[in-house]
Amino acid sequence: MHIVIIEDEPAIRQELALLLRNALYEVTALDDFHDAAAAALAAAPDLILLDVKLPDESGFAVCAKVRAVSDVPIIFLTSQTDAADELNGMLGGGDDYITKPFHPPVLLARIAAVLKRTKKTGAKEPDMMEYKGVRLDIARGSICFQGRQAELTKKEFQILYYLFQHTGKIIPRMELIEYLWDNQVFIDDNALSVNMTRIRGKMEQLGVHGFVETKRGMGYRL
Amino acid sequence: MNILSFLRDKLLLYLLHLSCMMALAVFLRATGYSADGRLLVLICWFLVLCIWTVCEYHRRKRYFSRMEAVLAQIDQRFLLGELMPFSDRLEDRLYREMIRQSNRSVIEKIHAAEEQKNDYRAYIEGWVHEIKAPITSIALMCENHKSEVTRSISRENGKIENYVDRTLYYARSDEVYKDYIIEETNLADVAAEVVARNKYYFIQDGVQAEIDCPDDVCTDRKWIAFILNQILQNSLKYRRETGAMIRIYTQRRARGVCLAVEDNGIGIRQEEVPRIFEKNFTGTNGRTHGRSTGMGLYLCAKLCGKLGIGIGAESQEHVGTKIMLEFPAGTFHMR
Repeated sequence: MHIVIIEDEPAIRQELALLLRNALYEVTALDDFHDAAAAALAAAPDLILLDVKLPDESGFAVCAKVRAVSDVPIIFLTSQTDAADELNGMLGGGDDYITKPFHPPVLLARIAAVLKRTKKTGAKEPDMMEYKGVRLDIARGSICFQGRQAELTKKEFQILYYLFQHTGKIIPRMELIEYLWDNQVFIDDNALSVNMTRIRGKMEQLGVHGFVETKRGMGYRL
Repeated sequence: MNILSFLRDKLLLYLLHLSCMMALAVFLRATGYSADGRLLVLICWFLVLCIWTVCEYHRRKRYFSRMEAVLAQIDQRFLLGELMPFSDRLEDRLYREMIRQSNRSVIEKIHAAEEQKNDYRAYIEGWVHEIKAPITSIALMCENHKSEVTRSISRENGKIENYVDRTLYYARSDEVYKDYIIEETNLADVAAEVVARNKYYFIQDGVQAEIDCPDDVCTDRKWIAFILNQILQNSLKYRRETGAMIRIYTQRRARGVCLAVEDNGIGIRQEEVPRIFEKNFTGTNGRTHGRSTGMGLYLCAKLCGKLGIGIGAESQEHVGTKIMLEFPAGTFHMR
């Protein structure tokens, strides 16, 4: 997935690019806004993040130019919070609208939602994830190993989902807890341990041993 | 104006008449008029004076009644000068001119003050929009370089954001009508977003959260998120030391939906509960538990009023607080 960032504030542009790269998107950040629409389209993006306040012309104008030749999804970024602006953005062909200061997880979720909605080829999320022979069924919220299956609660599923996305990496407990809070699972440190124990129990029943490693004082790793 | 005060006002004139009448009586007596003739002349004089008094009283009375009616009808009373009834009396015309001049200066003052207020508000709004760029970059930097330090920075950045938000919404609270989109809003989403925004505090302070909001309402998402955020911040601030818990849930009622934020915090003193939505009210908790500006809940109540949402509170000291938002069904519905 290729995302083009059109944002004139250098600090935000750099960090935004880094955030998106960390989220495994391919990123092009424009730093010349003379003919932003053409430059953006030249990069053949799957999505454009567009700041409303640009030095030469407004983001709405850029959006109109892009819309004239392409229906690539556009998400507006702005610090204006007027409802009138929001309508402008939508009527001008924007697909979504995020106000600064946005929360990085919210931005990522919105980007994913827009990509999913506009259904570009390849944008479909896999409904299955597999690691070391263990399959996580995303649609049904269950886990399979060698034909046997165990149902997961919402909390257990979210924990495993995050670990499956970052296989081989040590995930600090804090990072995991923060991710869970962003996804409507509100648990604390103790509850995380409890849930992890339950997950291990289910794994044992399926016949998987030592699937989730505990790195003492650091976190978990698949 | 009544007849007595009118007569008292004209006392000097009547005294003049009286002395003239007496002088005339003395003069007529000296020129040899009979007593009957003198009495007749004086009675005629007196009658004419009476008739003049009655007529004059009625004319004045009518003039001022019309003026009072004008005053009662217009909503901006300083416009009286332009609407004063016409009178052919010189004094009335002079007064009218003076009042008009004085009113004109008042109107100019009002315009100047309004312009100044609008300028100031525009400046504040512009400033808020500018400060949001650095807040955003700090949030992004913290997200990209996660560590204990950046988590702390994130928390502080969140505080800045909240203060800035409050400033913006305060500046705007008088003109809500210019800036809202009423739409079907999923309260569970809004609540989850607000909780996620405050996740650092929840996690750090070991506060548990629970959201159970199956009911949708028609309202403006942005404003309701702001209101909910203010309420949540209070719950986080006035939490109990251990085992703190915040529940956000909806209940379907006969005439709408009730969104409640319930905590098991330190609660509010019984006698202070009715006053928590007042401006600048800080209360005992505000003094003992760190700074309180007395603005958060005041703003909530004000915005709720503008959005047609009812707001109420229940609390028991040392047990907990429950803030309720009542979304009426039907009103503000756009379908």
